[in-house]
Amino acid sequence: MKYTFSTTLLALLVVVSLGQAAFAQDVLIRNATVLTVTNGTLEDTDVLITDGVIADIGTDLRAPRGVDVIDATGKFVMPGIIDAHAHIALSSINEGSSPVTAEVSMEDVVNPYHLGIYRASAGGVTVSHTMHGSANVIGGQNETIKHRWGATNPDAIRFVGAPRTIKFALGENPTRVHGRRASGGSGAIVPATRMGVEQVLRSAFENGKRYMEAWDAYNAEAATNPRAVPPVWNERLEVMADILRGEILVHCHSYRADEIVMLTRVLKDYGVDKITFQHANEAFKVAPELAAYGAHASVFADWWSYKFEVYYSTAYNAAILTRNGVITSVNSDSGELNRHLYHEAAKSQRYGGLTDDEALALITINPAIQLGIQDRVGSIEIGKDGDVAIFEGHPLSIYTIPVLTYVDGVKVFDRENDPDDVRVDVDPTAEVGMYEGQITGKDHIHSHEEVVDMLHFFQSVADTHIH
Amino acid sequence: MSKEAAFPRSSRAGNSRGLLWLAAALWLLPSEALAQKNSPDIPVVSTVTAIQNARIVPSPGQVIESGTVVFRDGVITAVGRRVDIPYDAHVIDGGDSLSVYAGFIDALSHVGIPEPRNQGQPESVPDRSNPPFERAGITPEASARTALDPEDDAVEAMRHAGFTTALVAPRGRMLPGQATLALLAGTNASEMILQGAEPMFFQFEGAQGVYPGTPMGVMSKFRQLYREADRRRKLEAMYSEDPSGLSKPPFDPVHEAFFPVIAGNRSVAIWADDVLEIHRAMTLQEELGFSMMLFGLEGGFDTLSKVAASGVPVALTLDLPDKPRWAAKVEADSLQQILDAYDDETRTATFRDVEAEQRNLESRQLWSRARYVGMAAAYHDAGVPFAFASMGVDAKDIHANLREMIGEGLSSDAALAALTTNAASMLGLSDRMGAIRTGMMANLVVTHGSLFNEDTKITMTFVNGHMFEAPASTGRTGSNSPSDR
Amino acid sequence: MKRFMTFVLAVGFLIQPFEVQAQEQDEKARQGTYAITNARIETVANGTIERGTVVIEGDRIIAVGENVAIPDGARVIDGSGLHVYPGMIDSGTNLGLTEIGSVAETNDTNEIGDITPHMEALTAVNPNAVAIPVTRVSGVTTVVAEPTGGLLPGTAALVNLFGYTAEQMSAGSKMVIVQFPQEPSGNRPRWQQSGPDRRQERYKDALAKLDEVFDRAELYDRIMTAYAADPSGKEQPVYAPEMDALRPVLSGDVALMVKVDAADDILKAIDWVQKRELPNVVFSGVNEGWRVADKLAEAGIPTLVGPVLATPTRSSDRYDRAYANAGLMAEAGVKVAIRSGESENVRNLPFNAGFAATYGLGKEAALRAVTLAPAEMFGIADDYGSIEVGKKANLFVSDGDPFETSTNILALFIDGFNVPIESRHIDLYEEFLNRDEGRLQPVEILPADN
Repeated sequence: MKYTFSTTLLALLVVVSLGQAAFAQDVLIRNATVLTVTNGTLEDTDVLITDGVIADIGTDLRAPRGVDVIDATGKFVMPGIIDAHAHIALSSINEGSSPVTAEVSMEDVVNPYHLGIYRASAGGVTVSHTMHGSANVIGGQNETIKHRWGATNPDAIRFVGAPRTIKFALGENPTRVHGRRASGGSGAIVPATRMGVEQVLRSAFENGKRYMEAWDAYNAEAATNPRAVPPVWNERLEVMADILRGEILVHCHSYRADEIVMLTRVLKDYGVDKITFQHANEAFKVAPELAAYGAHASVFADWWSYKFEVYYSTAYNAAILTRNGVITSVNSDSGELNRHLYHEAAKSQRYGGLTDDEALALITINPAIQLGIQDRVGSIEIGKDGDVAIFEGHPLSIYTIPVLTYVDGVKVFDRENDPDDVRVDVDPTAEVGMYEGQITGKDHIHSHEEVVDMLHFFQSVADTHIH
Repeated sequence: MSKEAAFPRSSRAGNSRGLLWLAAALWLLPSEALAQKNSPDIPVVSTVTAIQNARIVPSPGQVIESGTVVFRDGVITAVGRRVDIPYDAHVIDGGDSLSVYAGFIDALSHVGIPEPRNQGQPESVPDRSNPPFERAGITPEASARTALDPEDDAVEAMRHAGFTTALVAPRGRMLPGQATLALLAGTNASEMILQGAEPMFFQFEGAQGVYPGTPMGVMSKFRQLYREADRRRKLEAMYSEDPSGLSKPPFDPVHEAFFPVIAGNRSVAIWADDVLEIHRAMTLQEELGFSMMLFGLEGGFDTLSKVAASGVPVALTLDLPDKPRWAAKVEADSLQQILDAYDDETRTATFRDVEAEQRNLESRQLWSRARYVGMAAAYHDAGVPFAFASMGVDAKDIHANLREMIGEGLSSDAALAALTTNAASMLGLSDRMGAIRTGMMANLVVTHGSLFNEDTKITMTFVNGHMFEAPASTGRTGSNSPSDR
Repeated sequence: MKRFMTFVLAVGFLIQPFEVQAQEQDEKARQGTYAITNARIETVANGTIERGTVVIEGDRIIAVGENVAIPDGARVIDGSGLHVYPGMIDSGTNLGLTEIGSVAETNDTNEIGDITPHMEALTAVNPNAVAIPVTRVSGVTTVVAEPTGGLLPGTAALVNLFGYTAEQMSAGSKMVIVQFPQEPSGNRPRWQQSGPDRRQERYKDALAKLDEVFDRAELYDRIMTAYAADPSGKEQPVYAPEMDALRPVLSGDVALMVKVDAADDILKAIDWVQKRELPNVVFSGVNEGWRVADKLAEAGIPTLVGPVLATPTRSSDRYDRAYANAGLMAEAGVKVAIRSGESENVRNLPFNAGFAATYGLGKEAALRAVTLAPAEMFGIADDYGSIEVGKKANLFVSDGDPFETSTNILALFIDGFNVPIESRHIDLYEEFLNRDEGRLQPVEILPADN
C-alpha cells in the first residue's frame, strides 16, 4: 500500500515537467543536403538555428559554444512538414447540434497530452492545423499548433501569431447531420440539400453583416450619446463579423465542383477573399475558377470513393490544380496519414509528374500560405522558425526514414534515442499490455474522438445510424 | 410541530384529557427533538452535552491530551483541560480512548440531493440548435436549497464518515444553479440550510443531443450568457435610473442570475474533472474576470504552479484512481520493487523483450498512480492551501483514500486542515465552524483512536449539537469497504 | 503522364510491321504474342536479369532470358531502360465487393448471420467496379477479395483484375475466413460505460461457438463421406451449405484464413488450429505478430500481414511498430505476405510493401511478399508470382522500382491481355488538365450576379 518515489522516477517527473521550460533552442545541423523548397537544393550545407530561429545557412558554419552539433552528412534536411487538416490534440471535435457554430473554438479544447502529436512529429510534421469537424455548414474556429511534445499546458503548443481560421463544410456531411438524420424525433433542420447549404451560408453572412453594422452604428453613437443602447451581444455573429473584416481565414470542407463554385460566389458577394477549400476532391474540375478567385486547395493524395461525393475524383487532383495555378497542399485528415505526409506528397509525382520541389511545396510552403504563417515557416530561409526535419534518404523516396525533427530548434523526435513509450500521462488504472486497435490508412471516416462525439451526441437522443 | 398538526382534536371527551397531556408534552418537545439519541419518542431532558477525558484536537497541530468540551443548544461553551461541566449536562466519558475533532466540511458535492430515479431519454425538441434553457441544462437561477432532502442516503453516509457540513451543488449539466451551504442533518430541508455563500455552480457538462453538447460549446455558451448579461445589467441600471426614451431591457431569470457574479458579489464554483478542465476554467476566469473557486482538479499535478500562482481557492477531489487489477494481486513490497525497477532505457526490439516490456509498463503505471495519490501532498508542499471535495466519491471510500494520500506524503495535519480549517476559510465559515472553539457551532466528530489510523472507528458525529452514533457494524474507517482501494 | 506519352510514341515507332496499333488508338485489351525486349527483369524466383526479354503467348509466358528468340508477328515492346515485374498480389482486400463505402446499396461484403462460410465472394465481385482499373494501373494484378462480418464471414476469392465474369477473373484459389474472436481488453470504450459488462461472456461464447461449428462440420463430413461412398439405404443428409463450405477446409483442399491481430489471440488461434489439426491455414492481419513471432515460426503458419501503413496497436508501442511488424516476423522465420486491407486504394499495396522493406523486411523480401510468397501460400505458385516460363502472363513494365512513387507503370499484362493503362482517374486527368482548351471564346468566370 505504501510506496514512495524512487529517485529515477523523480528524475522522470522532473524531465516531463521540464517540457514546459525552454521552447526555443539552438542547434547546428552540418553537412546535409538542404531542401529549402523556395531556394532550391543546397548540397553539403549547414543550417544553424539560434534561439529557435534559423540564423544562418551555408558551408563550414561555426557552432557557438555549447550548441548541439548534428552531423547530417549524407542526410536530407527539409522544412518541418505542415499538415493543413488535422484533428489531433483535441478533446472534442464536432459541436454538431447546430448548423452554424462559429462561436466555438478548438483553442478551448486543445489537448497537449495526445500521442498523435509525437507520432506525427516522427514523420517530420512540426505544425498542424487542428480543426473543428465537418458536421456543420459553419463550424468552429480551428487552431494552428506546433508539435512541442512534452508540453503539458495547452497554451504552450499554440502557434502564437498564427492567424485565426474557421471551418466551413459543404455537401453530404452537414446535410446528413442536420437535414437527413431526424435525431430521435427532434426534427430535421435546414440544410438537407446543397441548396439549403447555400442559404445557411448567406443567412449567416447577412446576419453577421447586419450585426457588424449595428455595432458600428452603436459605437459611433456612443461617442456622443451616453444613453446609446448597444445591440444584443452575440458570440456567433461576432465571429461572422470578424470573417467579414478579413480577420479569419476560411477553410471549407468541400467535395463537389458545383458547391465549390457556390461558395466562391457567396464569398465574393460578401467580400471575403481568403479561402482554402479542404479535401476539394472535385476542385480539379473548376481549377480555372479557383485560380481566378485566388482560392487555395488542400487535398488528399489519393482518397476517393468512400462517399458518393468523392466517387468522381482523381488522384491527379493536386497535379491538375498545381498546373492551373492554384496554390495546393496535401493534408492528412488522419492520425495515420499524418505520420507519412512526405509519402503522400510524393504520390503527386506518380499522379501528374510534379517535380521534387513542387511535391515538397505541397507539404511545406503551400500549407504555410494557406494558414497565413508563410513568413514564419514552410521553407528553410534565414529568419524563419527553426522547424526542420532530417531524413535518411530523400523524403520523396519510399525508402526514406525520418530520423530527427526540430521545432523552434528544440528536438521533439529522435529515432535513435527516444524511448518506445513516450506517453506523458499514463492511465493509472487501465490494464497494462492490452491490444488497443489501430488507425489504418483506410480509416478516413473520423478520428476516434470525432466518432465518440457523434455517437454520444446521437445516442443521447436515440438516433440510429452513423456513417 | 404544532399541536394542531400532530393531533386533530377528537370529539370524544373521554380521551380529551390524556390527549391534552400528550399534546402538551409534544408541544414542549423542541422541534429538533434529537438531543440524546435518535428516537423521537423519548423525551429530551437536556440540551447540553459534555465530552470529558477525551483527546481533543481543536485545530490541526493543537492537541489537548485529556480534556473536555461542552456545548449547549448547538454552541460550544467551553473547551479545555479543566472545564466546569454544567450540572444538567449529558456527559460522555471518553475514557481516555476517544478523540474529538472538528466536524469535517465537504467543500463540494451533491450530498443531500438524491439522484433522480430513472432518467430515461432526454426530451426531444423541435430545434436542437436552439433549445429552451432548461433542456440545455442552463438554470443558473435555480438553487440547491429547493432540492435538499435530509433523508438522502448520502447525508447519513457522509455523517458516518465524519462530515457535518457541505457546500451542496445542484445536480444537472453545465449550469444547474446555485450551491448552498448545508448542515448534514435536519428533520426537513430548511433545517439543513446555512446562510452564507451561494456560488453559481458551473461544470463542463454539455447538454444531451442539443446545443451546447461539447466542452467548446459549453465554454462559448458561458461566454455568451456572461457578456449578454453584462450588457443587460448596464441597461437595467440605465433604465431604472431614467427610462425615458429607452425600450424596456430584455429580461429572463437566466441572465439575471449572472448579475451578482458580474458585480463581484457572487463567486462561480467550477468543477474541473481533469487537468484540461482546470486550464479551461482558468481561461474563462482570466477572460471574464469573475471570482472563481475551483473544485476537483483530479490529475492536476501538471497545473500546480499555474494554480498556485493564480491564488484561486481550491478544493481537491477525495477521489483516487482505482488500483490496476494486476496490482491487486501483488504484495505491497513487490509493488515497491516493481516501481523501483523502472528503466527508461529499455527498448522492446523483438518478441524476446516482451516480458521486460510488461514489467516496465507496470512500473510506469505505478509511478503514474503515485502521482495522483501524492497530489495533495504536492499542493501542500507548494504552499497551496486546499480543502477537500467529495463530489463523485462514495462516503465509505473517503478515509481509505485519505490514508493513501497520507501514506504518499500528505501530513495528517494538512489532511485535517483540508477537512476543517481550510474548508471553513474557503467557504466563509471560519467564524462559525471548522475548529473546536468557544462560540463556534458544535460540529464534532468523535473517534476511537487517532483519526487517520487504519483501525480507527468513528463512533459519533455531532451536527449543530445533535448526536449521531455510528451503527455498530460500520463506522470503521478501516478496510470494511468492499472495494479494497 | 509525360513519360507515358513518350513511351506510347516509342512503342508506335518500334513495334514490328503490320497491325501496328499504338496504345492510344487501341483501347481494347488483347491477347496475342508479345515480346518485351532489353528490359531489366525481376523474375523473383530466379533473380534479376539485367537485360533480357520476356515472350508472352496467349495467357502464358513462353520464354524468359537474356537471349531469347522473338517469334514472328510478335508485338515488340522495347524495354530499354525499363523494368519488368511480376504482377503484384494483394493478400487481403474488399476490392470489387464494395463500390462506395458510405452507400449501403453498393456494399456486398457483409452478409447477415454469424456463420456464413458458404457466402462466395467470387460471384459477388463486380468485374466492372470502377476501382479495378484504378488499382491495376499501379501494377497490382491479383487480389484476395474478402467478405466481412461475423464469425465465419464467407469464402474469399483470389481474382485477377481483368475479366468480365467470375470465371474469367478467377485466379484459381479461394479461402474460407474465420474471424477469430478477440479477447476484450480491460477497458470498455468510453461510449459504452453503462449497463453490465457482457464482453467477457460474449467472448467465451464466441470461442465455444467456433468449436461447436467445427465439431459439427466434422460430423457432417463423416456423414457426407459415408453417404457418398454408398447412398443405398441411407437417409439423404440434411441440406447444410455452411457445412459444405467447411468440408474442404477440414481436408485441406481449401485454405482457412484466420483473421487475428492481438498477440494473445494469435497464441490462442495457434493452439486452436493445432488442436483441430487443420492442415491448410494462413493467418491474416497479424498486426501484433512480432510479439509472438517465435511461436508463429514454430507453428509454421504463414501470415498475410497488414496493413503496414497503420498506427501501432498500443499507445505504449514504438511509433513505427506497424511498419516494422513484417520485418520482425520474417527475421524470426515466419513466412510473410503483405496485404493492404483496402477497398478503393488497393493501389497502395506497393507502398505498404515499400514501408515494410524500409523498416526491416528489406526490398527483396518485400517484393517476394507481394508476389511469390502469397502465390505459394494460396497454392497457385505454379501459375503466378514470378516471371518464369509456363506461368501466367501477369506482369507489368515500369520505368523504375514500383515501390517508388516516382515510378510509372507503362504497360500491363493480365492473363496475357495487354491491358490499357486507363482508369477513371487518368481519364479525368486527361479531360481536366486543360479543361477549357477546346473553348474558343472565354466565358467570364464567377459572374457577380448569383
